[in-house]
Amino acid sequence: MLEHLNTDPTAPNRVVILGREGFVASTLAATLEAAGINHLALGHAELDLTAPAAGEQLAAALEETDTLVFVSAIAPSRDAAAMATNMRMVDSVVQAVSTRSVNHLVNISSDAIYEDAAHLVHEGLAPAPGSPHGAMHLAREILLTGAMKGAGVPLAHLRPSLLYGAADPHNGYGPNRYRRQAQAGETITLFGEGEEKRDHVAIEDVAALISQVIQHRSTGILNVATGTSRSFRECAELAVEIAGKGGVSGTPRQNPITHRHFDVTARLKAFPAFSFIDFDEGFRKSFNRVDS
Amino acid sequence: MTSTDTLPVIGFAGMTHLGLNSAVGMAEKGFNVVCFDPDATLIGQLETGEMPVLEPDLPELAAKNKDRITYASDLSVLQQCDVLYVAPDVPVTDDGVSDLTDLDALLEKVIPAIRKDAVLVNLSQVPPGFTRARTRPGLNMFYQVETLIFGRAIERALYPERYIIGCPDPDAPLPDAFRKCLEAYDCPILPMRYESAELCKISINCCLVASISVANTLSELCEGIGADWSEIAPALKLDRRIGQYSYLSPGLGIGGSNLIRDLITVTRFAEETGSDASVIAAWIRNSAYRKEWALRTLHERVLSTMDDPLVAVLGLSYKENTHSTKNSPAFAMIENLHPYRVTAFDPVVKTSAAPHPAPIDAADPLDCAKGADVVCIMTPWDDFKSIDPAKLADAMAGKWVLDPYRVLDAKACAKAGLSYLTLGVSDA
Repeated sequence: MLEHLNTDPTAPNRVVILGREGFVASTLAATLEAAGINHLALGHAELDLTAPAAGEQLAAALEETDTLVFVSAIAPSRDAAAMATNMRMVDSVVQAVSTRSVNHLVNISSDAIYEDAAHLVHEGLAPAPGSPHGAMHLAREILLTGAMKGAGVPLAHLRPSLLYGAADPHNGYGPNRYRRQAQAGETITLFGEGEEKRDHVAIEDVAALISQVIQHRSTGILNVATGTSRSFRECAELAVEIAGKGGVSGTPRQNPITHRHFDVTARLKAFPAFSFIDFDEGFRKSFNRVDS
Repeated sequence: MTSTDTLPVIGFAGMTHLGLNSAVGMAEKGFNVVCFDPDATLIGQLETGEMPVLEPDLPELAAKNKDRITYASDLSVLQQCDVLYVAPDVPVTDDGVSDLTDLDALLEKVIPAIRKDAVLVNLSQVPPGFTRARTRPGLNMFYQVETLIFGRAIERALYPERYIIGCPDPDAPLPDAFRKCLEAYDCPILPMRYESAELCKISINCCLVASISVANTLSELCEGIGADWSEIAPALKLDRRIGQYSYLSPGLGIGGSNLIRDLITVTRFAEETGSDASVIAAWIRNSAYRKEWALRTLHERVLSTMDDPLVAVLGLSYKENTHSTKNSPAFAMIENLHPYRVTAFDPVVKTSAAPHPAPIDAADPLDCAKGADVVCIMTPWDDFKSIDPAKLADAMAGKWVLDPYRVLDAKACAKAGLSYLTLGVSDA
């Protein structure tokens, strides 16, 4: 659940975004730009969070009135090496904020921290990651929570569900890959018959919600999900329909079917006027953006 | 000392919802009743017939039996009592724990004021272990389980289905005066040890909650798969293992703080004693989730689809036939609708009490629905059952009706062109 320290949305003096080249960070920067919110996006070239002096370097770049958005990560984090790198990055952030306090920290985590076959997912569920990626985000959350409590910095953890958008760099199984395959006229191959249902969130909505959290100086935990889940097959067939080419085929099922649905009550209460874009509409827009 | 052929005088300390209704019910049974409360202002109001709580038949029975009822704020009046019931409200803290401060304070006040031979009966709900911890030499103390139902308090006081009595020794006969009092009602009397009675009350509520949770969980599944809970519930009622009296109507979570309080009590005791109460924790979570059905549905169907919608809310009280708004589903919804325009009407509760920056007051249900994009019937008052769906549709600008308690007829709503949404069934 989130608690707003700013009852009315107020732009901070500056938002510092870590991970400029990333899918989320770049969209967030564009969203803040459009809203006229002063921001500084730091990328690998200016700040290598894995470097030994990264903590000091970041501290020197920060001001006490800054809102810091930590979205930089090696993702997906599939093995111990990636885990270690991601831990090194969070250590740099902890070191920096311990040296130079900030006004607010927003950590972009992941819904991977929840059990794979969880019940209706809500913010009150105890984390039980079933993947190295989920374990990495949970470890980062724990480290940041402890450090920010010590530093007296308000902290929000946002846990997005699966993201889609034209600029997605990961091309993982799901709408982004389906879009590319359909646009190329390829056949989309599903795991099993693509029965698994997931909650897909448009990257623009994620950025808009982060912006709301920044402006409300919110603390606590919030899942970033629409509340509506659809099957991978539905997504694949929609991709083919929008592209007007390609096809969809199933494969013999290798794993049991698991679904994920979110209880979005906490988001409705935290941001009652916020609405997510409908998936059909958002998915079509992601095609158009690529086309343009 | 009371003789065996005369009725004992029964006292009640604490003129709360429970105390007042129990006292008036006892007077209706023919007992002379003493109503004590330290609040002289409240006693003055009661003497003039002004009832502080809304309950069907309460004012009429209080007036009818006024010659048998003595209202007093002076402790000396308790000397008349052969049996004294102590019945203050036990507030529940925000985290669901009983605050027993007021009950303890009242006990300390009245115990020195009663006769040595009088029977003291605690009617307020207490956690296991409370009563034995308050016993003292020479005090005839009992705990009586109450199951007050808001809106039906007098009916429950006059026609209890059983009396559950926590005793210092369940094998010993009950004191004469107390036994006469209980035997005036034609129902079983179940003496048991203090701790059993204290846990019995909680067990009743746990069973009640189990039925509610089954209905809530399965009714939502109906919404998802095209089944209709109203077709299933009668079949369950014919099952002898479940029974026709089971509570099988879905609702907006578990109503009232007392049930939740009991569930939290169980989880606390389980934690302390190392037993598993995870199913109880699941019930608590399920209730909180289901309570937000209207808010989620409202967002999904209406608020996320239009600019500047007008939301009409019919019913603000926690349930029908009561003025109470504590744990009101309507309030829980409205407090999360601050960015939206809300118009509201309730037969008893004033619209200005609604937790919204600028709630729009309405004169009646149709006035409330005028120009609304959605009507939410959040309390199943009888008054709302007579609303003509055709007139409702004419008054509204939109078409959505959220009616979790099925106050309106779904088919009539559909015929009137309304999109009717209720618990336990897919879109009608």
